[in-house]
Amino acid sequence: MRKLTIAAFAMATTGLTAPAFAEGHSSKISEKPLELTIHLHHKRSIGYDENWPVEKAACAATNICLTDATVGANSTNSGEAMNLLLATGKIPDIVGSARVKETTDEYGPQGAFMPLNDLIEEHAPNIRAAFEKVPGLKSAITSADGNIYYLPYTPDGKYGRAFWIRTDWLDKLGLEVPQTVEEYEAALRAFKTQDPNGNGMADEVPYFARQWEELIRLVTLWGGRSSGSDTYHDFYVEDGVIKHPYAEVGYREGIKNLARWYEEGLIDLEIFTRGSSSREYLLSENLGGATHDWFASTGGYNRLADTIEGFEFKAMAPPANVNGDRIEEHRRIPVKPDGWAMGAGNQHPVETIKYFDYWFGGEGRTLANFGVEGEQYDLVDGKPTFKKEFLEAGPVNAQLWAIGGQLQARGYYMDYEYEKQWTNEFALEGIALYDAGDYLIDQFLGVALNEAEQKVIDKHFVQMRTYMLERQQAWILGNGDVEAEWDDYIAQLEKMGLNDVLEVMNAAYQRQYN
Amino acid sequence: MSGVRLDGIVKKYGALQVVHGVDLDVSPGEFVVLVGPSGCGKSTTLRMIAGLEEISGGAATIDGRVVNRVAPKDRDVAMVFQNYALYPHLNVADNIAFGLRIRKESKEAIAKSVEEVAGILGLTPYLDRRPADLSGGQRQRVAMGRAIVRRPKVFLFDEPLSNLDAKLRTQMRAEIKRLHNRLGATSIYVTHDQVEAMTLADRIVVMSDGRIEQIGTPMDLFNNPVNTFVAGFIGSPPMNQFEAIVESDGDGPTARLGETVIRLPKLKELEQANGRKVTVGIRPEHVLLHPADGTTPVPVDVDLVETLGSEALLHMHVGEMPFVVKAETQGDVSHLHAVRTLHFQDDLIKVFDGDTGRAYGLPSVA
Amino acid sequence: MTVPHDPIMTASPEEQVVEAREALRDRMKRRAVWVGEHFRREWQLYVLLAPTIIWFILFLYKPMYGLQIAFKDYSVFRGIQGSPWVGLEHFQTLFGSDQFQRALSNTIKLSALSLLVGFPAPIILALMFNEILNQTYKKTAQTIVYLPHFISSVIIAGIIITAFSPSAGIVNTVLGWFGLEPIYFLIKPEWFRPIFIGSGIWQEAGFSSIVFLAAIAGVNPSLYESAVVDGASRWQMMWKITIPSILPTIIIMLIIRIGNLLEVSFEMIILLYQPATYSTADVVNTYIYRNGLQGGQYDLAAAAGFFNAVMAFILVMTANTISKRYSRTSLW
Repeated sequence: MRKLTIAAFAMATTGLTAPAFAEGHSSKISEKPLELTIHLHHKRSIGYDENWPVEKAACAATNICLTDATVGANSTNSGEAMNLLLATGKIPDIVGSARVKETTDEYGPQGAFMPLNDLIEEHAPNIRAAFEKVPGLKSAITSADGNIYYLPYTPDGKYGRAFWIRTDWLDKLGLEVPQTVEEYEAALRAFKTQDPNGNGMADEVPYFARQWEELIRLVTLWGGRSSGSDTYHDFYVEDGVIKHPYAEVGYREGIKNLARWYEEGLIDLEIFTRGSSSREYLLSENLGGATHDWFASTGGYNRLADTIEGFEFKAMAPPANVNGDRIEEHRRIPVKPDGWAMGAGNQHPVETIKYFDYWFGGEGRTLANFGVEGEQYDLVDGKPTFKKEFLEAGPVNAQLWAIGGQLQARGYYMDYEYEKQWTNEFALEGIALYDAGDYLIDQFLGVALNEAEQKVIDKHFVQMRTYMLERQQAWILGNGDVEAEWDDYIAQLEKMGLNDVLEVMNAAYQRQYN
Repeated sequence: MSGVRLDGIVKKYGALQVVHGVDLDVSPGEFVVLVGPSGCGKSTTLRMIAGLEEISGGAATIDGRVVNRVAPKDRDVAMVFQNYALYPHLNVADNIAFGLRIRKESKEAIAKSVEEVAGILGLTPYLDRRPADLSGGQRQRVAMGRAIVRRPKVFLFDEPLSNLDAKLRTQMRAEIKRLHNRLGATSIYVTHDQVEAMTLADRIVVMSDGRIEQIGTPMDLFNNPVNTFVAGFIGSPPMNQFEAIVESDGDGPTARLGETVIRLPKLKELEQANGRKVTVGIRPEHVLLHPADGTTPVPVDVDLVETLGSEALLHMHVGEMPFVVKAETQGDVSHLHAVRTLHFQDDLIKVFDGDTGRAYGLPSVA
Repeated sequence: MTVPHDPIMTASPEEQVVEAREALRDRMKRRAVWVGEHFRREWQLYVLLAPTIIWFILFLYKPMYGLQIAFKDYSVFRGIQGSPWVGLEHFQTLFGSDQFQRALSNTIKLSALSLLVGFPAPIILALMFNEILNQTYKKTAQTIVYLPHFISSVIIAGIIITAFSPSAGIVNTVLGWFGLEPIYFLIKPEWFRPIFIGSGIWQEAGFSSIVFLAAIAGVNPSLYESAVVDGASRWQMMWKITIPSILPTIIIMLIIRIGNLLEVSFEMIILLYQPATYSTADVVNTYIYRNGLQGGQYDLAAAAGFFNAVMAFILVMTANTISKRYSRTSLW
């Protein structure tokens, strides 16, 4: 109870959040203060801190206060920490973690976690509202046995990555923003051959990427797919059937052309090894021409205009592919596998589900997204608005993580408004462009496999993926010809169990989403 | 057969000088022993002859050739080390053959030489053993075999017996002497053990503090030590020494030992040295228990009798002065406890100058 | 020469002592030692021994209990006891996989090559250091070659990636001076082994040379003096004295190294490999990492680990036996 006293004292001294409770508003879940234990593990927040201002506010509002019971806090690997936790056999009241879904899918049916379906039905109006609002959310978090064991971090907003190009280079070379794959190729070639950076050397790197998988993303320009979700190399859904993108003909066409681009030098020769600093390096050295990357962070590079004359790096609409379709394959996934679950031994399931519900709407959702009123944000025209000094004090997410906001190991519903308020103009401009075009495609939200199905995947899929990636890189690097080898490649995949894998995936998909 | 000559050999380590101009002439076939306390420079001198240490000054000559700038291998010397320096990974035969192999002699010649040397040293049964499987004495013999097999002009021994127990040391000593008699090679032998020196040497070189104190045959050194250092170093137990003032009673020089007046040898120098401070030396063997001609009686108190078998050591006092005497037991020591008087043989008493330690009565050239 | 009373031919007291000791040692083996009494008399020695024994029990023997998950369908939640037995299923999965077989073959090739090239490197380095007479120069050189050992693998990998980069890397820059086209080393399977082994030598040869330097320092100096007098050159002394003298150390290190033959430094591989280089770079440990640990298949990983351990045991035993027979040197 000592912690409560400190929390109450903190509240009283700040005098800022107190009015909200003074109204006698009924966020209170429990009449008597209730303590619950929590394991919280995410690379952004390893371990739970009762002194986070957000947590103090939540504790005061709900009368439910959490205490830290995190296992494996000395590791940054959430999976390891989770296994350690399970191995102790003592599961806390609440378990929040990155990729908690994998754990609940496997161990929920074994009895490690509490099924939440009935509790949600009876006690969680905010969560039910989110189910209504986010299509596929409920199916996506349902396990193979039909039960829901975890509540996800539910992202808001649609856009993730976009095509970016040096528009000042285009202007300099007298080119329009490319609208088709042919024009895109011509622009990249012009970057390579016409010396847009003007240093007299053909040192420009037309297309680069921080993650080499973003090169594979370009197969969409030839009607292929690289992934169905925000996880690389994932399955995708087409006409209600699960397929693997790397076993489809469009992919073959894409790889064939990317190999040609690579050979011609339109793609960074070192794309596979340059790594995460390549965007920073190639843009600031005035070498990089185009990429496929996140809106907010990439738009920020326009600050280089201070040092590189005329520098302008803008989002462009996805070029029309060979079939005439404009596709942006990447989007913000609506449901993350991160979130929290209720330990099977929890003695207060009703209070806990109400507590979970608290973060999914209203006051709790604002608290999770924006922090504490008066500290991080003020209400302006009834809308939470970050304080100017807060936005200027440094990276917003890092600041929020430090006070317990935007904890992605928590199950909550993100509010895109929070991010919009500090997204730069170039990103916003790009988002508007993508909004106008409707380029996004549906995401594969993952399936929950039962034990037998999981075995099939374990046995075949990792090896199959290894083989796929090996061939993929080899083809792009020119060690082999995708067209000539395609039939053998498919035969090998089938030998490695492709059909079994797809059968299992489709069975699970039908069970979960139909 | 070849001799070794050292002319004013000096060894310096930076500012530190450890050998101060040693002159030595070793005749072909001679067995010379360098003896002295540890740190006297005897090993360093030997190592300079071997070429393991650079010569800082003077000249070393082997077989008429100055070898200061000659590599060890070209000096045609062989050396036996204190810790044997056997190659643990080679068996006895290969250890003995090592030097020959280095010199790329033919296989047949090597085999023949090894066989011969093994026969000489009684190592034939052990030829395929490794050093770890040999006793100390056997190892020492292998080490010598390695030197002998090369048939060098000069043998150098660096305290070869000091790692052996007493009995084995006596055996090996005899063995080395026999080997020398057989091979007749010039040998220079370093030891700190004066018994080894006395038994082995044709001539002994006594060294101290990097200088030669005396060179001579064993009996020479025993009978006529040139100074107190040699007198104290050669002989076991060492010569009894005490300080005294030379006096004269008209019949010749005397000195006072406690209450007793003893007669000193009738040397001209001594007769002229009346009143000088001297060191008087009397070997434990040169004292009689019964009066005889030319002896002087001295009263003593016996503290302890150490029985050695045929001989015994009597530890006693002459006045305040500790004194050791070696006497024959004749099968019984009881009478030795009863000794109350010693009889000094006047002629065998040695007298050394009190300041320089130099012996009186030396030939003027020495 | 025949000496009638050659004292050498009769056993000296010292020799008799040696023989007696050996005989005693033989008897001791057969005699059952009463541990209780020994413990009372020498308890201080047992106290000194205790931490090692505790360490062994806690960190080596107790975990052996967990090895059984290699034969179980392991669930972290159900625990070792509660998980059902599946016999050799995991081993069948492993050996039925082409990729595992490739990884095994890569492991052996990579290890054998790095043993062949990498093992002599520290010995040669130690011999070279031993020949340096100038102490200041020697110490500086030693420090420089020890340094890479203390750099973390992540940084080493970064250095390698940068050094071998086709656009800015020093290696390709040098190749450029000779008019050679830049090579994208890190995505070429044929270059993976040379780069991995070479960088391994660069990182560890210096530090590994310490044990050989120590062994060289332990060689009796009079062995060299004796050889000098016998007329041996420095080269001959190295071959005939130094190397044979440190041979036991070399063999012990070799046996240990052979025991670790299947343990290639997989952090380094993970940092350096690409799907394009899997064909030469994928080893058992990285295979396990991808299939077992990333996928949470601890049972499969344990099966592979078990296989590794058995192989290592066989290798060590074999190497030890061979060494014992032919060189008299062995671990036990």
